Amino acid sequence: MLRQIIAITLKELKIVWLDREALALLFAMPMFFILVMSLALQGVFEAGTKERPVEVLVVNTDGGPLAEQVIGDLKGVEGLTLIEKAGGIPLNLETAEALIRRGEYPLALSFGAGFSKRVLHAQGVSESEKATVTLISDPATHLQLLASVKGMIRSTIERRILTATLPQRLSRALENAAGGISLGTFDSNKEEQVRGMVGDTAKNPADDSVVFVNTSPTGYSSGRRPTATEQNVPAYTIFGVFFIVLTLASSFLREKQDGTFQRLLTAPLSKAALLIGKLLPYYVVNLIQIALMFAVGTFLFDMTLGNGPALILVSLALAAAANGLGLLVAALGKTEAQVNSLSVLLSITLAALGGMMVPAFVMPGFMKTLSLVTPHAWALAGYHDVIIRGLGLAGILPETGVLLGFAVLFFAGALWRFRFD
Amino acid sequence: MAGLREPIVSVEHLRKSFGDVEVVKGVTFQIPRGGFFGLLGPNGAGKTTTIGMLTGLVEPTGGRILIDGNDFFQKPLLSKAKMGFVPQALALYPTLCALDNLTFFARLYGLRKGRLKERITAVLDLVGLADRADQTVDTFSHGMKRRLNIAVGLLHEPDLLILDEPTVGVDTQSRNAILETLEGLNRSGVTILYTTHYIEEAEKLCHRVGIMDQGKMMALDTPAALVRDLGTGIVSMEFNATPDEALLSAIGQIGSFRAVDEQSKQLRLETKHPDRAGREVLDLMDKRAGLLKTMDIIEPNLETVFIHLTGRYLRN
Repeated sequence: MLRQIIAITLKELKIVWLDREALALLFAMPMFFILVMSLALQGVFEAGTKERPVEVLVVNTDGGPLAEQVIGDLKGVEGLTLIEKAGGIPLNLETAEALIRRGEYPLALSFGAGFSKRVLHAQGVSESEKATVTLISDPATHLQLLASVKGMIRSTIERRILTATLPQRLSRALENAAGGISLGTFDSNKEEQVRGMVGDTAKNPADDSVVFVNTSPTGYSSGRRPTATEQNVPAYTIFGVFFIVLTLASSFLREKQDGTFQRLLTAPLSKAALLIGKLLPYYVVNLIQIALMFAVGTFLFDMTLGNGPALILVSLALAAAANGLGLLVAALGKTEAQVNSLSVLLSITLAALGGMMVPAFVMPGFMKTLSLVTPHAWALAGYHDVIIRGLGLAGILPETGVLLGFAVLFFAGALWRFRFD
Repeated sequence: MAGLREPIVSVEHLRKSFGDVEVVKGVTFQIPRGGFFGLLGPNGAGKTTTIGMLTGLVEPTGGRILIDGNDFFQKPLLSKAKMGFVPQALALYPTLCALDNLTFFARLYGLRKGRLKERITAVLDLVGLADRADQTVDTFSHGMKRRLNIAVGLLHEPDLLILDEPTVGVDTQSRNAILETLEGLNRSGVTILYTTHYIEEAEKLCHRVGIMDQGKMMALDTPAALVRDLGTGIVSMEFNATPDEALLSAIGQIGSFRAVDEQSKQLRLETKHPDRAGREVLDLMDKRAGLLKTMDIIEPNLETVFIHLTGRYLRN
């Protein structure tokens, strides 16, 4: 019996050994996952820490010292990196918004004109006359990250305003105190009185002088924040759409193994008709998949879909890219093991790299750049444009164009490598 | 339009190489309209590659194929429309029922509505699967799958039916049913090109046969002419001990023997009159009781023609 077991084991090992590509993928797959997931998730676990600071654009039109002091304080805050210039030129509001729109940075902090003057002379002024600090963020910014950064910025500003206005407030308090306070007669009772006054001020140091405004770049729909559904539904839809790669590639392989592909080739139909006929159902399945996912988001979680035609256009391009990749895997995979491993490897690695599991902007710089070579990242950007940023057809043309470019690239590669015999 | 006597298939100097290995070496043959042509040869003879080139699955390295007068590679779709192909593999969708399989392939060949239903009914009747139309293929026996495989090739009523080993692995009953179907089709005017390594099938069905071995067409004629011109009977003997030189010399007087295998102690004698030779061998054995273990006498047929041409059995 032992000999039989050994014989079977050796035979299986030989079969596995002979399918070198599948074997390589077997080892490459977990390595890729470890590499990509660790690097991608690094952002989530470390975003906003000393090791992985969040980059915040700063626009300073104050003209006074206070904004400069706040910026100086913020530079000392662990987990934030302030970007004050682009191409050597101090940032203005338009440039900062454009950089956010391009997805290069998630946030911008703007100190309005006369910030210092307004803070220091805020006593009794109306809301419209108060100093403003505006935090401009991409509506698609990860909510937890945004909340954490906002907290850091706000507390730093409040501390600085407290420090800046303390002498003024103290002096005012002392002037207003009944009978005045003379240092010579400064008894323990009066000390308590002053402490009380300063303490009151410290409770809400910026409330009287600063208005914090949260907004999105111009052109995006109002500063509405995405819900968890609006974040997750597009990402996991894209993730799911690319699983068609496995189904599609396996279907081609099965047809070849069963001999039905040969039979189709002997029928009076062109190779193009054969391929289109084979691909079309999977394309339709992808579209149904997308419709179903968004229907779940809409009907179960009240997700808003934005511009319909734009959403459809992104979906059509996304499904084309996924089908193209499926055909490419079908062309490259010679055995079932190869097709399975390659499909799973691509589906999961590209999804992680493309920001389906974590937002791309929290990834390290090179990973962020690398994410742009995945159709996933562009599809997600397209969906976010429509659903979260409220853009229409014109707004999603770049993403759609890139997705179609991926589709063309995949199909061209597949046709180059595809064996019809 | 091609006349009745004109060949529906004309293969000229067809060659195919895979890398440095030439697997089909300048094969030439013709099949007249309404003919039943058998391509015989052992596994690896180049039959399937030749069929592959005829059906457009394999691109030839050289040579020419004319289907009904048209160059196959210049007018592939027209040529393919004229032929039905029954591959050696059971090229069916196992999870679909027979009807769905037939409907799919019928649509592929442009059949629609009434004509589609009519043809599906006709082919199901022809292969005896009318009562199994709604059953999924994976519940079929091997023989039933083979018959459905043939039915698919007949859906569009092709002028030329090409079958690659259609009876491999089927039981006798299904084999007979398949062979009867093919005979009937041929009688109704369908030209049939058929590859097999079952000699009895070729002898029974084929008007002409081509014998292939190692990529070459070794002989090409009617079965009767091949047997008449090239066929020799065979007396195959197995001994309990190696025959001595005197016995071998005596047997050599009866006919020419091809081989004596020292280990298996076998001897094959080729002669035009195997019955008479067998009797003479038995006479010689009278004086050597217990030496002869078994003796088989094979009358001249296509198998012996193949052995004569190649020195090997067809099924090896």
